[in-house]
Amino acid sequence: MQSEYIIEMLNIRKEFPGIVANDDITLQLKSGEIHALLGENGAGKSTLMSVLFGLYQPEQGVIKKNGEVVTINNPNDATALNIGMVHQHFKLIDVFTVLDNIILGAEDTRMGFLQKQEARKKVEELSRRYGLKVDLNAKVEDITVGMQQRVEILKMLYRDNEILIFDEPTAVLTPQEIDELMATMKGFAAEGKSILFITHKLNEIMAVADRCTVLRKGKYIGTVNIADTTKQELSNMMVGRPVQLQVEKKDANPGDTVLEVKGLTVPSKIHKNDAVKNVSFQVRSGEIVCIAGIDGNGQTELIHGLTGLEKTSGGTITLCGKDISRGSIRYRSETGMSHIPEDRHKHGLVLDFTLEQNMVLQSFQSSRFQKLGFIKNDAVRAYADTLIEQYDVRSGQGPVTIARSMSGGNQQKAIIAREMDRNKPLVVAVQPTRGLDVGAIEHIHKELVAQRDAGKAVLLVSLELDEVMNLSDRILVMYEGEIVGELDPKTTTVQELGLYMAGAKKAEGGK
Amino acid sequence: MNKGKTLLNSDSSRKVFASLLSIVIGLAVGALVAAIVGLSKDNIGGKGIWDGVRLIFLGLLSTGREAGQLTWGFNPSSWGNMLFRATPLIMTGLSVAVAFKTGLFNIGAPGQYLMGTLATLFIALEIPSEAVPPAIIWLLAFLGGMLAGALWGAIPGLLKAFLNINEVLACIMTNWIAANVVTWLFDISNLKNVAEGTKTGYIYKTTFNNVATSKMGLDKLFPESQVNGGILIAILIAIVVYIIMNKTTLGYQLKACGANRHAARYAGIPDKRNIILSMAMAGALAAGGASLYWLSGNTEFYWITYQALPAAGFNGIPVALLALNHPIAVVFSGIFMAMLNIVGQQLTTLTAYNEYITDVVIAVIVYLSAFSLVIQMWLGKRKAKKGGKTV
Repeated sequence: MQSEYIIEMLNIRKEFPGIVANDDITLQLKSGEIHALLGENGAGKSTLMSVLFGLYQPEQGVIKKNGEVVTINNPNDATALNIGMVHQHFKLIDVFTVLDNIILGAEDTRMGFLQKQEARKKVEELSRRYGLKVDLNAKVEDITVGMQQRVEILKMLYRDNEILIFDEPTAVLTPQEIDELMATMKGFAAEGKSILFITHKLNEIMAVADRCTVLRKGKYIGTVNIADTTKQELSNMMVGRPVQLQVEKKDANPGDTVLEVKGLTVPSKIHKNDAVKNVSFQVRSGEIVCIAGIDGNGQTELIHGLTGLEKTSGGTITLCGKDISRGSIRYRSETGMSHIPEDRHKHGLVLDFTLEQNMVLQSFQSSRFQKLGFIKNDAVRAYADTLIEQYDVRSGQGPVTIARSMSGGNQQKAIIAREMDRNKPLVVAVQPTRGLDVGAIEHIHKELVAQRDAGKAVLLVSLELDEVMNLSDRILVMYEGEIVGELDPKTTTVQELGLYMAGAKKAEGGK
Repeated sequence: MNKGKTLLNSDSSRKVFASLLSIVIGLAVGALVAAIVGLSKDNIGGKGIWDGVRLIFLGLLSTGREAGQLTWGFNPSSWGNMLFRATPLIMTGLSVAVAFKTGLFNIGAPGQYLMGTLATLFIALEIPSEAVPPAIIWLLAFLGGMLAGALWGAIPGLLKAFLNINEVLACIMTNWIAANVVTWLFDISNLKNVAEGTKTGYIYKTTFNNVATSKMGLDKLFPESQVNGGILIAILIAIVVYIIMNKTTLGYQLKACGANRHAARYAGIPDKRNIILSMAMAGALAAGGASLYWLSGNTEFYWITYQALPAAGFNGIPVALLALNHPIAVVFSGIFMAMLNIVGQQLTTLTAYNEYITDVVIAVIVYLSAFSLVIQMWLGKRKAKKGGKTV
């Protein structure tokens, strides 16, 4: 008898020392459905998927495919069962071409020589059929994140996988790319493939999923039909308390100018053109200024030029009345800038350091944490404990946890704790909520508003339209390295903002 | 969970166990090779093999041969010589370990060692001991050697920091440049040993100018050996390195740059300066090993080095690997490597085998050290059945 479910994980329990990561969790995936797996960071989603992939063996519970019990001891077993996964952090080889990455591990060979022609045809066919545009000859390091994700998806399709798992697939995508991905996923489901969609973005679940299973702190909360539920209900299930989805804030009360940027120009590392062209703007104390725009329009370079990570080729930056245009990174940050970086793994954290070592990354040289060059371990530990408590940073072993082993949301919380506690007049936050769940986003939004209300100048870079509209007091839209418009979120619409972002509209002078 | 259990499961004890396991396997393979060699040769025989195998494991405790039988006990000369030979190995081991900890592979230790040799010998022999007290000359020669090594080590550091040239390539180049520079400078110097006339190509011992490291009482403990205070200085330096790397802001910065150069830069840590600094420190340590070795006054330097790099430099790599780059562990692994050297000597003098058997042992250990991650993973997996991994 054919079971209704293609994959069932029944009563799964997985323990780690000191923590029950999965406690009696049941997940049943119907054939041809899009099933969302919702939960906060650390709720046990990744552990559950690792169990499905044979990376961990559960203490209790069984996995069934088409109603029959299967044992999955390693990822090869999972592959043999036609289960494929797009990981949150892509597993691609940067210096290989797209085609080589797709066939890697499933290459055809004849007498020891690679046979790529057949593979190329198959991939091209798949790419056409599902509208997954990729350049097969490009090297992965040269293509956009969105295209890298399409490569990952093609990898699964190339292996004829029936069960497709997407782990936080939209965390790294632009709004347009997200729409495309959603359409692709629907297409797969229509063809009878079963999709498990791990996420914490409620909008996306409402848009594509048929059913949703919610986990909280390792426990199974329930499975609901999307047609019968609301965003608010889902988020309450996930967080365990009523969550504010809308940011609550008073009107801004801007004060003196904290940051003044005049004619800033930053050369591009990739192209001959400047990535940032003659950009001028100000940020005053007590306001949140948001730089909106589609990814890759110079926002990263603007922030790098501002913080000193990249050299600028023109213009002046004045922070708290001091010209910092030529200052070192340290001088700039000491003058009055805290910086929540865009890439938390590259810039935000030393992943192989412990949490407490990361907490003092900016401040280890202050007399609070060192005496005559010797680090005061007790002071560092006490400080880390305070921040962990205050910002609710969750980790396996507290201050001595290796940062690499923490979940993305908690890594970000650690960075935010460190930067906020430095208490500088200017807060530069670049995509601070990227890849985070509603609970954490709510927390970070409140924190940024609190910083504003405390008289800080907040410069926010965001790709999320909701965030831009909700949080900012002024919006500057960047398009191809220029600021093409300044908008007031109270009087503008998402549609108008979209037009500016797409370059279809342009204000004169763009302050 | 009780404490004993935590200790067994902890990462660090797993690492130590992996290292010990590679030592044991290395010795066992050495014994196996000895047995195979013995069986294929007529002049060794069963008893010869048995003697050889015992010496491989216990050579340090051998006191010689009496009435055809090996005798055992405390051999002060072996122990003293072991400590003497361990001195430069500990220093080059520290050099490699410091660089490793900061994300750099210092394969330039031989060149740095040679530059240390050059500076130390010139200072120790050229300053007349009639005019300057030998203790001052000793100190100048030691510090001068380290400074020379630091400057030499800084070159690959500079190339890496400013031009992003891989430090391994730069180190290999600077090794051979050092070898030629040293040969050339000694060739035109007046330090070539002509006084004794028995052999050619050697530089005067530093004792020629009355400069030598104090014995610090170690000659009383280990009579009839070459031991001197150098080993104590090396141990002291290992402790200092441990403190710098683990307790100070300097070590914190160096490790941050090594672990994630971008994050270090983001936090305003001067990444370029730290890369150069860490290579300079590595260079100073390797050169310090040379200084301590030649300042012993026991040995003379063969100056025509342009065709061969000093083994003491390269052996810093296995010493550091075996010690998992922990400065204190480097002291033990350095002494262990020196012990193998003594074992080789005992094999040569007491049996029909030669010292090359110990090269096999060292090779196997180095090979397994590289595998130590696999061994750790294997140990971890065995424990994982009881749940041994964090989320």
